[in-house]
Amino acid sequence: MIERTVPPPPEPGLPVRDLPDGLLAVRAAEGDEDSFAVLVQRHGRPLLALARCMLGDPQDAEEAVQDAFVSAWRRLPEYRHGAEFRTWMHRITVNRCLTMRRRRPSPLPLDAVAEPAAKDAWSQPARFAEQDAATAALCRALGDLAAGQRICWILREVQGLSYKEISQVTRTSEQTVRGRLFRARRSLQEAMSPWR
Amino acid sequence: MALDGPRTRPSEPPAADGPPFEGDEVLSCGRLLSRAWEQARDAVPAADPHTRSCPHCREAAEGLAAVSAATRALRAEDPPGLRALAARVMDTVRAEVRRGRLLPVAGPGREPRIAESAAAKVLRRAADTVPGARAAACRLVPVGDGIGVRVTMTLAAALDHPLPERVHQVRRTVLRSAGQDLGMAVTAVDIAVIDVLEPEPVWEPFRRPGSPGGGGT
Repeated sequence: MIERTVPPPPEPGLPVRDLPDGLLAVRAAEGDEDSFAVLVQRHGRPLLALARCMLGDPQDAEEAVQDAFVSAWRRLPEYRHGAEFRTWMHRITVNRCLTMRRRRPSPLPLDAVAEPAAKDAWSQPARFAEQDAATAALCRALGDLAAGQRICWILREVQGLSYKEISQVTRTSEQTVRGRLFRARRSLQEAMSPWR
Repeated sequence: MALDGPRTRPSEPPAADGPPFEGDEVLSCGRLLSRAWEQARDAVPAADPHTRSCPHCREAAEGLAAVSAATRALRAEDPPGLRALAARVMDTVRAEVRRGRLLPVAGPGREPRIAESAAAKVLRRAADTVPGARAAACRLVPVGDGIGVRVTMTLAAALDHPLPERVHQVRRTVLRSAGQDLGMAVTAVDIAVIDVLEPEPVWEPFRRPGSPGGGGT
């Protein structure tokens, strides 16, 4: 029979994983790193997707999100919960990405966006290859959009934010958001027409 | 048939036709292209009878099919560096930890001390064990001759039980933990309920199928 190692002791109290963002942010502001770790886990994935769409380059995206989280940790004691943590975090990340884009003038290197999903590559190769290529084309087309349109589109379509949240993140009116979304859709539709 | 339950997708107001956007066009049915796209992408499906039945709106919506398919793939991608990224963030965070003031934990003689953030962590965890209560802020201040400590805690609490009873239970639990786990002479625990605990937190716009839904580990 296989020797079993000692099972981990049951966690005292309840895991913090199920706490809402607001409570975690308050706890993190008081120096509770465990609560902040949950926020990082919870928001890391969508924020990384956001940064990747905005910057095109996966490594730049990681750097941007890392900076954004560290900056959030430092600013949490002054965070007044005027906005949802998610909205606040999106705004920090968007600003970080904009700064990085300004610093790095060349827009999108054409080959930087197509990162094949290796773990799935064997299951349905042809389909995934085509999907990857389409996704890469979409990322390139995103790179050609005006910055305001690109941000609105990503926040809506990739992040699932409401118009209101987007207007808070980008500090514009909801009408402006809708206009930018429309023009972004128009341009992307055009760019993606070969993939129909 | 009534609309079924709440949607995860945030529904937008049905967009009174505002001024047309630059480059907008009027479809054969009289609707603006921008509106047709908003309906197709953002509104609860089937909320608008026109969209459901109008061939022109449907055709306009289908024009976005390629973009939508690529977007779905983009959303589904799991960024490879996420775990390492989170680890790097937490390394930095732990190096910059905010400990707060030092507080007395035993009798006046030897004066061992504990950082406020560490003590707060223990007391929050104790409060969290009370069903229907979750601690938010937890501040500790030395009082009197510097031996005692006053705790100020804020809570989110569910409303399925009378609030005073629950608050009382949290206070008792915090006092016990302070004495037993920390050896701290807590003179008072001030508690304010600042939020209602919802039955289930909703925060993820696109929950991945098969991802842990708050239970488990």
